Parts: sequence; C-alpha cells; structure tokens
Amino acid sequence: MGKLVAYRVLFAVPQLAIVSLVVFSLTYLVPGSPAAAILGTAATPDAIAQVEAQLGLDRPPLERLASWFGGVLTGDLGTSFRSGVPVAELLGQRFPATLSLVLGGMVVALVVGVGAGVLTGTRPGTTTDRVITGGTVLGLAIPEFWLGLVLTLVFAVQLGWVPVVAWTPITEDPVAWLRGLLLPSVALGLTGAAIIARQTRAAVVSALAAPYVDTLTAAGVPRRRVVLVYGVKNALVPVLASAGITFAILIGASFVVEKVFTSPGLGSLMLTSVIGKDFPVVQGVVLLTAVLVVVVNFVLDVGYGVINPQARPQ
Amino acid sequence: MSAAVTVGRPASASPLRRQAASLAQAWRRLRHQPATVAALVALVLIAVAAAAAPLLAPFAPDETDFTAALSGPTAEHPLGTDDLGRDTLSRVIYSARTALLVAGGSVLVAMLIGVPLGLLLGYKGGWYDRLGSRGLDVADALPGLLVGFVVIAVLGRGMLVLIVAIGLIFCMNFARMTRAVTLTERKKPYVEAARVSGLPHRQVVFRQVLPNLAGPLVVQGAVFLGSAIKVESALSFLGLGLDESQPSWGGMLGLAAEHQADHPFMALPPGIAIVVTVLAFNVLGDGLNDALSGRRPTRRRRAARSAARPQRAGGIPPASAAVAEQHPRAERPVAAAQTVRPEPAALELRDVTVVADRPTGETVPLVADVALTVARGEVLGLLGESGSGKSMLAKAALGLLPAGVRLGSGSVLLHGRDIAGCSDRELREVRGRSLGVVFQNPQANLSPVHTVGRQLAEPLRAHLGMSRVQARERAAELLDLVGVDDPRRRLGQYPYQFSGGMAQRVAIAIALAGEPDVLIADEATSALDVTTQSQVLDLLLDLRERLDMAVVMITHDLGVVAETCDRVAVMYAGQIVETGAVRSLFDRPRHPYTAALLAAHPSADRDVDRLPTIPGRVPLAGEWPPGCHFAGRCPFVRPECTAGPVPLTDHVRCVRAAEIALEVSEVAHA
Repeated sequence: MGKLVAYRVLFAVPQLAIVSLVVFSLTYLVPGSPAAAILGTAATPDAIAQVEAQLGLDRPPLERLASWFGGVLTGDLGTSFRSGVPVAELLGQRFPATLSLVLGGMVVALVVGVGAGVLTGTRPGTTTDRVITGGTVLGLAIPEFWLGLVLTLVFAVQLGWVPVVAWTPITEDPVAWLRGLLLPSVALGLTGAAIIARQTRAAVVSALAAPYVDTLTAAGVPRRRVVLVYGVKNALVPVLASAGITFAILIGASFVVEKVFTSPGLGSLMLTSVIGKDFPVVQGVVLLTAVLVVVVNFVLDVGYGVINPQARPQ
Repeated sequence: MSAAVTVGRPASASPLRRQAASLAQAWRRLRHQPATVAALVALVLIAVAAAAAPLLAPFAPDETDFTAALSGPTAEHPLGTDDLGRDTLSRVIYSARTALLVAGGSVLVAMLIGVPLGLLLGYKGGWYDRLGSRGLDVADALPGLLVGFVVIAVLGRGMLVLIVAIGLIFCMNFARMTRAVTLTERKKPYVEAARVSGLPHRQVVFRQVLPNLAGPLVVQGAVFLGSAIKVESALSFLGLGLDESQPSWGGMLGLAAEHQADHPFMALPPGIAIVVTVLAFNVLGDGLNDALSGRRPTRRRRAARSAARPQRAGGIPPASAAVAEQHPRAERPVAAAQTVRPEPAALELRDVTVVADRPTGETVPLVADVALTVARGEVLGLLGESGSGKSMLAKAALGLLPAGVRLGSGSVLLHGRDIAGCSDRELREVRGRSLGVVFQNPQANLSPVHTVGRQLAEPLRAHLGMSRVQARERAAELLDLVGVDDPRRRLGQYPYQFSGGMAQRVAIAIALAGEPDVLIADEATSALDVTTQSQVLDLLLDLRERLDMAVVMITHDLGVVAETCDRVAVMYAGQIVETGAVRSLFDRPRHPYTAALLAAHPSADRDVDRLPTIPGRVPLAGEWPPGCHFAGRCPFVRPECTAGPVPLTDHVRCVRAAEIALEVSEVAHA
C-alpha cells in the first residue's frame, strides 16, 4: 500500500507542475497586452505601462516563470488587480463553500449513482430497471443549475422546508451548514449520479456474467450473497476508476450551481475575475481547482488499489 | 484435437464492405427503436423551428412591451414575458438558433482539433503517444467548464470565442477516442498487411482507420452536441456567453433566477427547452450506439430473460420427501462405504432436453433426450466437439442455464431424487453439497478482487455452517488436499498470484468444499498446458478414490477420456450417439461418428502423413436434420438414415450399427 501511495505522489507532482506551467502561460495567450485588455480601449500608453509594471509583465519571461513557481511553492499567488487583496487570501475565503458543495454533490452522486446502478444491474430488463434507467437518461439531460432553480422553487419558495439563501459556514452552525447544503448538493450531484448509475449498471451486468459467479453459485453460495458481495465489488473496480472524471465535472458545475444558491464559492470569484480580466485571480482559481482534482484523484486511486489488488504495485 | 473442419474467417478482409453492410444493418435496427426515432423527429422539429423562427415566433425576440412586463401566461403571450415585456415563447424559439449554432460549431471545432491529434498519437505511437497521452491525462485535471472560463477570460466574449471555448472542452475526448480506435485498427492483421505491402500511410489512415472511426464519431458527436448545449446554457446563465441582444436559453434562465421568488414560472420554458433538446441528442447517441454495435433494444432482452425463468414443459413432480429421506446426507460417510444393496445411480439424467427461446418466439433444441447415469466411484466421460451441447448439459443439471435457455423436459436424479425444476433456494442445498462443478477457464473462475481464502470459505460457511475461523482452518486443509503448497499463506493471496494450474486446483477445492457426491469437470483441464493438465487429471482421479465421488468428465479430448474414464458417452449435435466402456468403445466403435473421431486423433503408434478429417461441419442447433444428425457427413449414409428420428438402441444411435464394420482399432492406445 505504501508503494502505491509513493507511485501516485510521483505521478501527481509532474502533473501539477505542468498544470501550473500552463496556468502561468495564460497571460501570454491574451491578444495584445493583458494590461490593455484590463484597462479597456480608452487606456493611455502610460497607464498600460504602469499596470504592466504592477503585474510584473515587463520582466523577462524566465524571470517571471521562476518567480511564479517560487510563489506557487510558498503559497504566494500574487495580488488581485481589482481589489488589491492577495489572491491566496481571496481563495481561502471562497474555498470552504466550494469544497462543501462539491463534496456534498459527490456524496449524492456516489450514493444515488451506485445504489441505482446496483439496483438496475442486478435485475436487467425489469420494470424497476427500465424506470430507473429512463430516469438516468433524463438526469443526464438536466442542467445542474436549472435543477437547482426548480428545487429552490419547490422546496424553498413553495414549501419553505429549507432557507432560500442557504450558505452558513460549518464553523458557525454545523446543523444549518448541513441543512443549507442539502438542496445544492442534490442539484449538483444528480447528474453525476446519472453518470455513475449508468457505469455501475453496465459493470454489474458484466460482473454477474463472469464465470466466478457460476463457480460460487455452483458451490452452493446463496445467489444474493454472490451478487451483493462478489458482483458488486467487482463492478466497483471500473466505477471507481472513472469517479475522478465525475469529480472534475462536479467542480465545474458547482461554479454555476453556487450562483443559484448565492453560495460564496470560487465560482462567483472566478466570474467577476473573468469579466474584470483580473488575471492573477483567474490563475489562482484554475490552479487551486487543478490541485483539488489531483488530490481527489490521488485519494480515489489509493481507494482503487484497496479494492483492486492488481492495481497495487508489486 | 477436434475432428471438425473449421471454417475460419479470412483474417485480412477489407473492412469497407463489412462497413457498408453493417451501415445498412444499423439503419434497419435504428428504425426499430421507437425512442431513437422519436428523438430524431424532435431534433428535426427543433431545427426547423430554429430555422423558421421569424415565421413561427409571434414577436421579434427583442420587442419590448412594458405594459405587459413580467406577465404570466396570457392569450397574447402564451408563455408570459420577462421584465422588459419581451415574449418568452418567441425568445425560446429564437434561442434554439443560438443553441444549435454554438453546439454544432463547437463539436466541429472539437472534431477538427481532436481527430487529427488522436490519429497522430495512435498512428505514430512511441514518444508522440507517450507524451500526448500524458498531456491528455494532465488535461483531465481541469474541469471542462473552467477551460471555458479561461478561454473567455483570455479572448473576451463573442460567438466565435464561445464556439472555440466549448470546442476546446470536448476536443480531448475526441482525441482520446480517435487514438483508441486507431491503436486497435493499427494492430489488426489487414492494416499490418497493408503496411507491409507498402501502402502509403495516408491510404491506410483514410481507407482503413477512418471508416472504423465513423461510427464512434457519430455517436460521440450526437452526445457532445447535447453536452455543448448544456455548457453553452451554463455560460450564458452566468452572463459569459453571448451578448444580451442574442437570446439564449441560459441567458433567459439567468433572468429567471433574479425573479425566482416573485415569478417562478419564468424558469420553466427555457429549462424545459434545454432538457428536451439535450435529451433528444443523448437518446439519439445511445440509439446510434446500439444500432452500430448491434445490441438489441431492452424489450427483447427482457423477453429473453422472462423465458429463462424455470418453466417446466414436462409435468415431472418435485421429489417427494420420502425419496429424499432414503438418502439423508448425514448417513453417508465421506470415506468409502461398503454397500451391499443396489443403490440408485449417484447422478442420473433422464431424457433431458435443453431448449433456447429465440427472440422471434421459436424454440430451438440444444440438447435432445439425453439419458446418462454415473455411479459412485465411477468416472464417466462425456465426449463431444464444441457445439455438441455437452456444456449445456452440465449447466442444466445444476440449474445454471444462461438467460434464454431452459430445461425443456426430463429429470435430473441425484440418488433418485429429482432436482429438475427445484427453486433456487432448494438447489442451494444441492449445489456444492451433492453436485459440484469445475468450469473451464481457471483464472476467470475466481473473483479477481477477493482473496482465495475468502472464496474458498464461502461454500464452507454456506453448507457446513462453519465460523470464520473454522472455515479458514478447513480451507487450508482443502488447499492442501488439492496439492497447493504452503496453503496458509496462499489463502491470503489473490487469484492473479496463482498460475493457471494452481488456480484450477483452487476452483476444484471450492467445488469440493461441500463434499459433493458427484463432481462435474466441464473441460476443467482444457485451458492448461499438457504437463499441468495431467497433474490436475491425476488429482481428480486421486480425489475420486479418496472421497468416493462420481466424476463426470466433460471434454473434447480423446486423450483425457482414455487416460481417466471408466465409461464414455459420445455426444454429437445435441444427442448421445454411443455409450460404452472406454476400452471397448475405443477398440470397437459402433457409431460412424465415434469411428471418425478416433481416426482423426493423432496417435504415436500410427504412422500416417496426414490425419483424416471429417468433411463438413457439425450442424448448428436449429438446423438439425429430421433423421440421424450425423447423416450429412457420414460415409455410410443410406436413405433410411434420414427418414426419421433414430433411437438409441443397445447403446448406439445408428440404424446400420449391426451391418457396418468399423475399422479403427489401431488408435485405441491414445
């Protein structure tokens, strides 16, 4: 197990290095000067030069690259051009809301998705299967943010079961935090659940067609036990292998969903920064997101090694 | 090994003709999928509405009417208006233009970037591929929507930017898919052959790889059109999409979000428009995928499954309690018992017929009227080519027939008790306890993600009610019994840490855990190399001796039969054609098929240049002739052979058994 962890760390480091290199080079991709883009068309050359100096754009690329990497390693991601606040501080303010929402969505996606997949995969062709599978097809077509709107209309506005404006930091009131997280997590997680349900169903069906199912059944092991213990664990191998991609999709979707629930996450920060051409903040959000995806993939891969012995390095 | 002349598919056929034929096939299948047809119709309607928006929409999309601002559905505005009094219905229709244009454009961009990239990686291989694939992995760390954000941050807003942004999100998927297809195609014999014969790379790519790529590309294209609409609406919802002047579903929802407390209805029309459009693209993609891969729609699969539930055609009553009590388990010691009174056969199959239910409703026999008995301590060989139905027979005995196949009639008697038609729960007591089975593929017989010890403990706990500790103890003994060294350590290992022969020993141990009276070995040694094979066979014989089991050895290998069996039954096209003691059957075969089989077997003490083969091939289930099944390939065939069903008379199923003399005695010493 220790070896697996070491291998994964070795893989994650270059991945993060390349991502941060790509993020660094973003400002070079802006047509013309980023400073001109920030200031708009009416900017004087003096003002542009001043902004360039402020952003460090006037320094040679290699020097900028070195200071960027140095900053990344020490947690200094520059300062917001618009607000003058250090990027790391801005990210720190917004990160808890995003992390809560995404983890909540992931829990919904895994629980509902694996549950529905096992339910349908063990009884293919039945009415239960067709109804739930039809539901997953629909689930894939519903935009997360619209589902959030509809859920808010029904459960917050009409029924009044949960507050409309939901976000409460966990440090303030854990119960209110959880209550407020309920609707956003469902809105965010159901599409992921549909993706996972489809994968799980296919994996369960193919696992149950495998010869070991016959071997164990023929030895007198109860069918139920063969299905739930042996079929499901084998089916989880491919499902877990692709859960990382689902997680990345959820992070992206959370940036949109949080607007529906006016949750103060990275999404609204990113939005104002994109509109305001606040490049240091854009770079910071992208880098933080990439780190989050890489870390979660790392955890999932280690989990994958736990259930699949062949994935452990020998 | 096999006497049949196998007709292989030519390995180097060009895919083009296949492609054309399968396209026509796919189209036929597609027409029989109601959901796909509905999706296609919906998409055509949406496209027409988008194109004819000025004709269909009652108002211009930006026509304001402040007197009717934020009205709900009225006669004039059936779907209401927004805060500027713009007609919602008209805006929904005009927004379809935006959605389809952006989605179409971005999928095109994604293909234009992704496909060449994938072709390059897949075709060039080597360093290109390693670096490129790493790159694709790194790209996975960024959520697609974030890529969209970044592109818009860098390039600003606008139609073209939006198309490029969404296209960049999906191009990685196209690259990955193209690379996978190219890698598969590149390794195929006909592409190798084309390359060796000096065909330019360009031609290989265009003639061989691209046709095979077309199907997956169309399927993915349809699905990504739907995804692109979702991304477009999300970006427009956030205000990062197109200008305010350009109506879009996402932009309308952004406005609706501001009024969600006072005008909740506003969120419905554009949302439903998105869901319907995306759903139609997804269903179309799924349908295309099913049609191209030749998968059947769900309804037929269900029919096949319900037919597979045990339904007995014959009215054989379940075993009476009295019969069962004559042979209570507890009375039978594991060690050899001296019995005086004649006891019923350990396993008897009586007139067993196995049938498959075709989706068309017809019933096709796979095994017809098979009668077999095997006594305690006896090894019975069941010899036949693949397709003769011998494995179906084993599964029928255990009640493990696959979906769509069922026991048509007949009984399976274990010590006189009929278990055919028993419920799954009743069979649970029989499986592994009275009747054990070992299947062919040693590695696949074990779950790859569970330890060997865990799997071996399952039947022990199920049958003998052992505790975890007891089961582990006994599992180690069983592994020792089947000749696995260092059993205690091996219990904690996974199947992939076992060689084929060792894995098969484990499978045998699992089958033996419940101490069955009868062990069916279904091609149990066929996948093993010769040395390992004979070790495992020796093990089975030794266990038979020690545990006084009856063994049914299902095999296509004459050598295995000669080496291990007391008696043998020869199967051909679903029927038993001859039974007898191994020695006499090998010395004096009485059925022409048995004789041909023996003649086709290589033997050390025969000096021939070329082994005789049996012309023709085994008739498939459903194509059996009305008379003798072997008549079409038999050198002794006469008109009376094909007249009607041939009964098994005096252990042989041949109308001419008495008059023909078969000379193959020299091969008896296999």
